[in-house]
Amino acid sequence: MKRESMKALLLGTLGVVAAMSLAMLASHVSPILGFNAFFYGAFGGKQEIAETLASTTALLFPALGIAIAFRAGLFNIGAEGQLLVGGLLAGWIGTRIEVAPALAIAAIFLAGAFGGAVWGAIAGWLKAARGANEVISTLMLNFIAASLALYLVTGPLRAPDAAGPELSLLPHAYWLPTLLPQTRATIALPIALLLAFALRYVLNRTWFGYRLRAAGEAPEAARRAGISLSRVALSAMAWSGALAGMGGAALVAGELHRFNTQLSPGYGFIAIAVALVGGLEPLAICVAALAFGALESGGLALQAAAAVPKDAIHVIEGLLVFALAARRYLGARGATTQ
Amino acid sequence: MLDAVDLTCEAGEIHALVGENGAGKSTLAAIAAGELSADTGEIERNGRIGLVHQHFALIDRLCVWENVVLGREPRRLATIDRGAARAFVRDLGERYGLDVDPDALVEDLPVGIRQRVELLRELARDPSILILDEPTAALSPGEVERLFSTVARLTQNGVGALVITHKLDEVFAHAERVTVLRRGRVVERRPVAEITRDQVARAMIGGDIPSIPSHQPTNGAVVVRVEDLAVPGAIEHLSLHIAAGEILGVAGVEGNGQSALADALAGLTPFRGTIDRPAAIGIIPQDRLLEAVIPAWSLVENAMLGRERAAGNGSWRIDRAAARAQCTAIVERFDVRTESIDAPLATLSGGNQQKLVVGRALIDNPAFVIAYNPTRGIDIGATATVHGELLAARNRGAAILLVSFELDELFALSDRIVVIARGALRGEFTDRHFDRDAIGRLMVSA
Repeated sequence: MKRESMKALLLGTLGVVAAMSLAMLASHVSPILGFNAFFYGAFGGKQEIAETLASTTALLFPALGIAIAFRAGLFNIGAEGQLLVGGLLAGWIGTRIEVAPALAIAAIFLAGAFGGAVWGAIAGWLKAARGANEVISTLMLNFIAASLALYLVTGPLRAPDAAGPELSLLPHAYWLPTLLPQTRATIALPIALLLAFALRYVLNRTWFGYRLRAAGEAPEAARRAGISLSRVALSAMAWSGALAGMGGAALVAGELHRFNTQLSPGYGFIAIAVALVGGLEPLAICVAALAFGALESGGLALQAAAAVPKDAIHVIEGLLVFALAARRYLGARGATTQ
Repeated sequence: MLDAVDLTCEAGEIHALVGENGAGKSTLAAIAAGELSADTGEIERNGRIGLVHQHFALIDRLCVWENVVLGREPRRLATIDRGAARAFVRDLGERYGLDVDPDALVEDLPVGIRQRVELLRELARDPSILILDEPTAALSPGEVERLFSTVARLTQNGVGALVITHKLDEVFAHAERVTVLRRGRVVERRPVAEITRDQVARAMIGGDIPSIPSHQPTNGAVVVRVEDLAVPGAIEHLSLHIAAGEILGVAGVEGNGQSALADALAGLTPFRGTIDRPAAIGIIPQDRLLEAVIPAWSLVENAMLGRERAAGNGSWRIDRAAARAQCTAIVERFDVRTESIDAPLATLSGGNQQKLVVGRALIDNPAFVIAYNPTRGIDIGATATVHGELLAARNRGAAILLVSFELDELFALSDRIVVIARGALRGEFTDRHFDRDAIGRLMVSA
């Protein structure tokens, strides 16, 4: 087993390197120079490492949330919308309250969690009460969230002093403290890591986590054992959304310091890949988030230094998920022919 | 799976292949029919070998003739010659006494008729040998008789029939020769006239059949009362009661409302009418792998299913030590054979998995137990353990609803039997006076 996963990791890494080399060659860039730029962009200095850690953080919150839903057998692809609603509520609360900074930051995260939870719970409720397919409902709720946010920031909640459609800036005291001075790496990262450990504990050691996993693994057996699948769907989607929403809060309080609709360049979608690459295990997801964070920041540097489009990196991320899904499918087929 | 097995089936004979689950019967059938390949050895076929699967391999959304001619459709230019196909299926049915409407949709047909379609499909390919894998598993006694008269007609036409079964009644009523398979080896082969039932049974399990406890007299109050139960599309006006220390057997052909009755009693399906039952209830679901266990999980985690909150003792946390102790208790008391309680359940044999399921349902001595085909697909040893534990629970005063498609099981365990057909009770047999023929007739009554 261990050998198998080592082999998979090695092959995956080689595959990514090969795909990146091809992308560089296609852009008439020497892979040696390209990888040099890539690694410099991801880990080359304090600023670069901080960028990688910031991307890691932004991916880790929604990826952990997605893992909760997936473990319960729910394909939540609405993390992007949940993140946006959470960020909106966090950005709004942050401009409305005047309390001690620590309390304010706690309130901002709670508001983010609440907003995301509500948005996730809508899909959970639709599933529980009406049997609505959560893939469709979470996907559609992404669009609703984007439109709602755009309406609110261009209309009722638009900051009077703002140049564009956005909320007011948070008071400087409420900005998340940074890990490395003058960078985007903030204490949101250790918060996310703590959440990963907490999630692992909840999934493996509490009856709530047990019910969630049972419902995901064998819904019919769980139902017959008296586990309410409706309740699991509702609570799993709410918690899933809550984590994505905290990711929105972290972006608001840690990076933009205000809410606007450009909050996330698709973190909620890339996080699906992160959760899958992490095998839906919280601690492995932390590692996967770091790898994807490095791809994000390194890819940006690659684009700047060598004119390899950043989209190439996203293609590679997509290929990685595709390969993983194929491996899982082939593995399952191998098991049934035994 | 199989080790140096040799087997011959001659034209015009009914040859019974018996053995416990996991003895290798289905594997042997698949190899003979060419669906699997053997590592060594050879198979000599004079003509085609047809295989009728235990789990039907029909396409539900197609009609009968479409299923029968699938893969060898009579063609007219680029289209199927429907008229010829229908006529072909009708002729085939008449020749073998298999009466089926060629235009009926398979999904609308009852199990017994679907099996005729399976048979027709194999017969359409003109086999010289026909293998029937557990053909009577889901049939009523009347349908069983009908099936064997069809098989007899086939053998008169020179087709050899290899019937795989674990029901010894069928072997002695219909077969000419019997081969016993145990753990992938042939342990006995003789003409049926030269061997006794007991000898076959002993050959199958390789020893004596374990004995089960007797029915101790109990005289309990009624603890389960069902009045005028209705489940839309499945049950109408059904009333029954079960007393403490009583096993009520429910006889019936699969799909006549048994699942709805069990689900309504378990609180898993909406119903009209009244159900009065104790809150503490142990359930043995009908489909072990789908409804009862999570195969990839450990024994400990499976033993917790449905009791996970109790394993937390009121806190959010699962008390792992208590959960392990509980699992160990089930494993020891119910003779679950495993290397470790941390092993994935899927590594256990079906019989041992089922013993865990039964143990989980009975360990807390619930006042009411629902057992749905509690021994389906498990070996004789495990069956004896499960039967013994159900009787022990009865003798301790539990009220037990036993749904089974095996009349022998119902006769062995029940204090009283009710017959269900088309969602209503059609008859009741009390005081352990059970009339097989009368029950069989009621099972198919309208």
